[in-house]
Amino acid sequence: MNFFTDLEGQNNRPAHVASWSLVALLLAAVFWFGFSRLGYRFAWGTIYDYRMNFLKGYGQTLLISLFALVFSIILGVLFGLGQSSRILPFRYLSRFYVELVRGTPLLVQILIFFYVIANAAGLHNRFVVGVLIMALFSGAYIAEIIRGGVDSVGETQRETAKSLGFSPFQTYLYVIFPQVITRILPSLAGQLASLIKDSSLLSVIAIKEFTMAAREMNANTFSTMEAYIPLAIGYLILTVPISRLTRYLERKFSYET
Amino acid sequence: MKLELDNLSKHFGELKVLDRVSLTLEDVHALVLIGPSGGGKTTLLRLIAGLEKPDGGGLIINDHPIEFFSEESLREYRKRIGMVFQAYNLFPHLTALQNITLPLVKVHGYNESKALEEALILLERFHLADQAHKKPAMLSGGQKQRIAICRAVAIRPEFLLLDEPTSALDPEYTSEVLDLIGELRDEGMRLILVTHEMGFARQASDYILFVGDGGLIAQGTPIDLFEKQRDERVNRFFNKVLKYN
Ligand SMILES: Nc1ncnc2c1ncn2[C@@H]1O[C@H](COP(=O)(O)OP(=O)(O)OP(=O)(O)O)[C@@H](O)[C@H]1O
Ligand SMILES: [Mg+2]
Repeated sequence: MNFFTDLEGQNNRPAHVASWSLVALLLAAVFWFGFSRLGYRFAWGTIYDYRMNFLKGYGQTLLISLFALVFSIILGVLFGLGQSSRILPFRYLSRFYVELVRGTPLLVQILIFFYVIANAAGLHNRFVVGVLIMALFSGAYIAEIIRGGVDSVGETQRETAKSLGFSPFQTYLYVIFPQVITRILPSLAGQLASLIKDSSLLSVIAIKEFTMAAREMNANTFSTMEAYIPLAIGYLILTVPISRLTRYLERKFSYET
Repeated sequence: MKLELDNLSKHFGELKVLDRVSLTLEDVHALVLIGPSGGGKTTLLRLIAGLEKPDGGGLIINDHPIEFFSEESLREYRKRIGMVFQAYNLFPHLTALQNITLPLVKVHGYNESKALEEALILLERFHLADQAHKKPAMLSGGQKQRIAICRAVAIRPEFLLLDEPTSALDPEYTSEVLDLIGELRDEGMRLILVTHEMGFARQASDYILFVGDGGLIAQGTPIDLFEKQRDERVNRFFNKVLKYN
């Protein structure tokens, strides 16, 4: 019994290791059973032939996600604050943007952006298109993260700054933003993980990122599993450390305030 | 300081918290506001702090009317006064020291080292130097409030406004904060204080306003108010707050 429950204040490491292994074993068993029923014959040689494709795709996914993160933070700050701007056209632009992007599937956005907007604007560089789409998409989510962060810094903080003679701009710069940043850091890290995963949809417009590499290999060789299992592992290698980081940041800053 | 209220009014919807209040105090050093909860003490103090705009009338301090309708001049005015809040309102992301230096540097144009020097002198004086590099979350209530007071006086304000600075504190910390306020007063710092600490009000003030029912129910020196007072509402209030003193 004691082997399955986490007791407060007790260092029960063997129990944790045992449970961890148990779950891993169970999962492995499920997969093994599934694959054995499928009667699938693995031919791992094919992925070796496609290794350069995979590596390049992996690099592209990383680059697209990182660039998109930077741009989406800029968009997020702009439209996150814009939602409560005194300049009404900007306020409503911000709100439309956030609602529109959060209210529609990414796939639809990708197709519309690619076939309508990028086409009309004469944008043919697929990498740039990919970055722009992901930045626009993720920017709306970051806008909400930032708005929530700013709202969470209470009215009393603003008023205190005001009573000390800070201008509204100084209040944002020295009082609100420093607090917002530490509070939203975990969510931003989480957003990066989402970006990495969501960018897989860019393969529908033939951007040569990680998922596209798997799709190509599958189309040419019909080695579905040999393509998609490494794909899943590749994404996990990126997202698991990020989710670790997120938890670490959450803990760190929850102690601070 | 000279304080004049000229038909000062403040309403919240139907509620007339201050209704055409007039008053002239020629030279007051320590003004204390007392009165029942919801009577309008905070509202009056916030008007004096330039944090709230009146719905009518005016406020004249040292012969300068506060220009409530110019945000720019309000900000200049706020720079010249110190405000201390009931809940300390320190900036949680900054250390005690940075809480004091930030306004000095960003609002008052001190250079970094001069600001540090000023802040450290204050912290030293009030036996807070050991706490200088701690964030507010690591400090006791009494320490937080004393640091908030340091922040307010570091800018060398014309006067200090304090809204119930001890009522969020555990009783054991009340006296350290009141001692500090008393010390500042003795040095000649002008102050306006809202408090429920009647003993301190009586001892430290030179004039008391009893705020309630939309205006000033009573006013006078501590002796006037505590000993010669006839107003039924004031007596009832004293009976309540002094019951366990
Ligand atoms: N922003 C506001 N909006 C609406 N009503 C308000 C606002 N601020 C104050 N009031 C009301 O005005 C009245 C006076 O409030 P005020 O805070 O000035 O009282 P107070 O004398 O400081 O009371 P306390 O001793 O409880 O602090 C109260 O009835 C309060 O509910
Ligand atoms: Mg009050």
